[in-house]
Amino acid sequence: MKEVLEGSHAVSEAVRLARAKVISAYPITPQTHIVEALSEYCADGSLDARFICVESEHSAMASCIGAASAGVRTFTASSSHGLALMHELLHWASGARLPIVMAEVNRALGPGWNIWMDQSDSLSQRDTGWIQLYCETGQEVLDTMLQAYRLAETVNLPVMVVLDAFFLSHTYEPVDIPDQQSVDQFLPSFEPRISLDQQHPNAIGQMAPPAYYMEMRHSIQMAMQSVLEHFTDVETAFEHIFGRKYGPITPFACDDAESIFVMAGTSASTCRQAIKTMRDKGHKVGVLKLKMFRPFPYQYVRKCLVNAKNVIVLDRNCSFGAGGIFAQELRSSMYASNNHPQIFSFISGLGGRDITVDHFFEMFDYTKKAQHPENESVWIGLNH
Amino acid sequence: MNQSIQTQSPNNVSLLISQSRTNTLGNKTGTWRFVRPKYQEKTAPCSNACPLGIDIAKVEMYASRKDYPKALETILMENPLPAICGRVCFHPCESACNRQFLDQSVGIHHIERYIGNWGCNNKQSQINYPEFNGAQIGIIGAGPAGLSVAYFARRLGYRCDIFEKSNMSGGLLRSGIPAYRLPDHIIKDELERLNDDGIQFKYNQSISMIHLESLKNYHALFLCCGDTCPISLKIPGENDAIDGLNLLGQIRNHEAPLIEGRVAVIGGGNTAIDVARSLLRLGAQPIIVYRRSRNEMPAHPHEIDAALDEGIELRECFSPIAIEKDKNYKQVSLQKMKPGEKSNAGRQSYIPDGNRRETIQVNHVVSAIGAEMDIMWHNDQWEFTMSHCKMKRNKDLPIFWCGDLTTSEKTVTHALASGKQAVIALDILRNHNDVDINTICHQCQVGNGPALSFDIYSQGQRTQRDNNKIVPFEQINTAYFPNIPAVQENRNACLNSFDEVIIDFDESQVIEEASRCFNCGICNDCDTCRIFCPEMAIQWDQDNRHILMDYCKGCGICIAECPRDAMHLEVEP
Repeated sequence: MKEVLEGSHAVSEAVRLARAKVISAYPITPQTHIVEALSEYCADGSLDARFICVESEHSAMASCIGAASAGVRTFTASSSHGLALMHELLHWASGARLPIVMAEVNRALGPGWNIWMDQSDSLSQRDTGWIQLYCETGQEVLDTMLQAYRLAETVNLPVMVVLDAFFLSHTYEPVDIPDQQSVDQFLPSFEPRISLDQQHPNAIGQMAPPAYYMEMRHSIQMAMQSVLEHFTDVETAFEHIFGRKYGPITPFACDDAESIFVMAGTSASTCRQAIKTMRDKGHKVGVLKLKMFRPFPYQYVRKCLVNAKNVIVLDRNCSFGAGGIFAQELRSSMYASNNHPQIFSFISGLGGRDITVDHFFEMFDYTKKAQHPENESVWIGLNH
Repeated sequence: MNQSIQTQSPNNVSLLISQSRTNTLGNKTGTWRFVRPKYQEKTAPCSNACPLGIDIAKVEMYASRKDYPKALETILMENPLPAICGRVCFHPCESACNRQFLDQSVGIHHIERYIGNWGCNNKQSQINYPEFNGAQIGIIGAGPAGLSVAYFARRLGYRCDIFEKSNMSGGLLRSGIPAYRLPDHIIKDELERLNDDGIQFKYNQSISMIHLESLKNYHALFLCCGDTCPISLKIPGENDAIDGLNLLGQIRNHEAPLIEGRVAVIGGGNTAIDVARSLLRLGAQPIIVYRRSRNEMPAHPHEIDAALDEGIELRECFSPIAIEKDKNYKQVSLQKMKPGEKSNAGRQSYIPDGNRRETIQVNHVVSAIGAEMDIMWHNDQWEFTMSHCKMKRNKDLPIFWCGDLTTSEKTVTHALASGKQAVIALDILRNHNDVDINTICHQCQVGNGPALSFDIYSQGQRTQRDNNKIVPFEQINTAYFPNIPAVQENRNACLNSFDEVIIDFDESQVIEEASRCFNCGICNDCDTCRIFCPEMAIQWDQDNRHILMDYCKGCGICIAECPRDAMHLEVEP
């Protein structure tokens, strides 16, 4: 059934359909609508889950870790400073191999105080062992949430579903909400591989001295490396039931493209608008939207970009002293290719600043004039 | 540390985590400890404020669980007359209640009253008095103090003879308190608690000093005859004033003279209020005349409020200086008063405000400025004095002055406390010696006193407590107590009958109100300590809560979490 739904509520609906059993969260703009709706579902009985109110995001994740260790489906949502506060426990969740699912609404970190869209918060957590999936539309958010549970439970790794602050979290779009029966078919009840067992008491997550620790970290990496294969299976099963598919990356007009824009999130929509104009002028341009950032889908990206002349990466983030984070990943993706394209790095749209069609024209023009990319990322849309 | 690794490979996903199936019993975290928690019950501020030292926190705990027999038993350990005290006590417990700092004090007197009523209606809960101990005491006066002496003495095995000048027991309960505050049937029912072969009432026996010689065969005598002589106004025409205390007794016995029209009631104590409210119910228009301001009135504030709510006029800062009688009326000349210096005790004195005078014309004047003891009981030489009783020996016979003869505050509750204190003192004298009195009484002290606990004296459960420690509000973990307003009392608005004004709480109100109690300083088995113990070192089996010292690491979380300060940390010995 299609409903006009706020992006945040696409998350809430998905959590309800996934029959999460424990939800623990602490409110923070722009994430609050997600758990606000979920707390109402818990209160009105439409979701049979325990909503644990906590005093901080650190405790929210700790609650999810406890509940997931007990073997139930869990959910939390956060943003910006809240996610940063969770950092320690993000490592714990993946190290303990718990299939926790989180919705992460991309928001800038202060100071200066800023509640708007920015990718710095989620990308700061790239090394915590969480799978990261970036979304562009309300429908993709809902679908990805459902896929996230199945994926997490398959590979025993936590998943962060990421959506842009306001541009997606607070925007209303028609969203097809699947019926419960179909969702139950896609996502049967959780059968945990790790759970506390009163009959056979065990302690989990305790000390692992040098003789053991390294193998456990290797195990996480092995599991991460298997994610793409399992994600493909999950998407196939999902498509079979619901008829929709996204892929770890979404190329648009890339087959014959000489220049390909790369980005994640909602700015991909604006970019597609821009390249239609450019194509009308005869430029061979395409767009590659990244959905999966961890694990990084190197092979998919390489295959898509290998024949392009220029790759134009848009980062709504900055790793200070190094530049755009997506651009760095792209460079390491392509370095192994014999005939790799030039990779141009642009930073724009930080702290909620709009990215317009003209900004993409500006980036494209820059790459046409330049002989080769600068060492540093180029900032687009600065006020000076 | 024991180490085992779990490897599972469903669908070929690598899964390796640290896991141990060894239990933690081998990890004796108790060796880390340098402080240890201890269950240590303390005194609630309400108990400390109660002249009788009732274990109120525990009473409320039982009441909230609908365990009325235990609630009653707990009260009766310290107070023989809960149905009466629940009505007439000025409840200093509620002024001390820690809950007032969160929202409102617990309505302790309503609960005591309900439990008292329950006791009156469930006679199987009567006291099982012990065997006689061979000693017999004589008690002069069957008012609250005398009844209290008889009750506690009988509980210690004494035979008691009570000499009462009238033909009924109860004293001021019957003659000094109006029925709208304390109905006859409550007095009758509650005094049945004293029905026992070991307590003999000898009515119509007026005992004076000269009769004491004939009572020398008793092992002790207790003078509980109260203040029987009205204080005179010492103004011209005072003989035309009616004695208020006597009038209250007459009204109760339906023997009062016809009093109509405007009546000046002189005085600011509880008797003045009782007289005024009684006269109102008889159809008169009372006017309370008091020489100081309302703030200085010795009557209890809620009684003053009730009188004013009922429409009684108060002329404050007026002192009567003469009563003149003419054919139909009495003219009362009043001197306007103004604040003077404060006394050493901090009480505001009042002095005449120049020559400002007024005269009020009334039909009757009632003097209700209090009473004093009969001069024959006057004595200056004591063997010892305590807060609520004094003792001297006549040859070898100990004679105790009790109740209004000695207490600073003349209330039913203080009179009952006096009886208890005197009986404990006598028992110590008989079983130990004079010098032990202070030591033993100190051990029986509730909080910082002066109330003594009969439970502690009888080596009951309260001996296990740190009785001198009073729980301050800061020690209450208010995270466990959401704001809940107190249950409101209902009143009978009828002003032309002597029906009880304040209506009994029903059971649901009692449970709701008793559940508001923090139960300061006592363990009510809330189980919070056990739930929070990170080492699972707190065990609760067979109603016995204890700490496994092999595992308690002394973190103190149980103490921090305990909602009611029933635990404390002590340095490891």
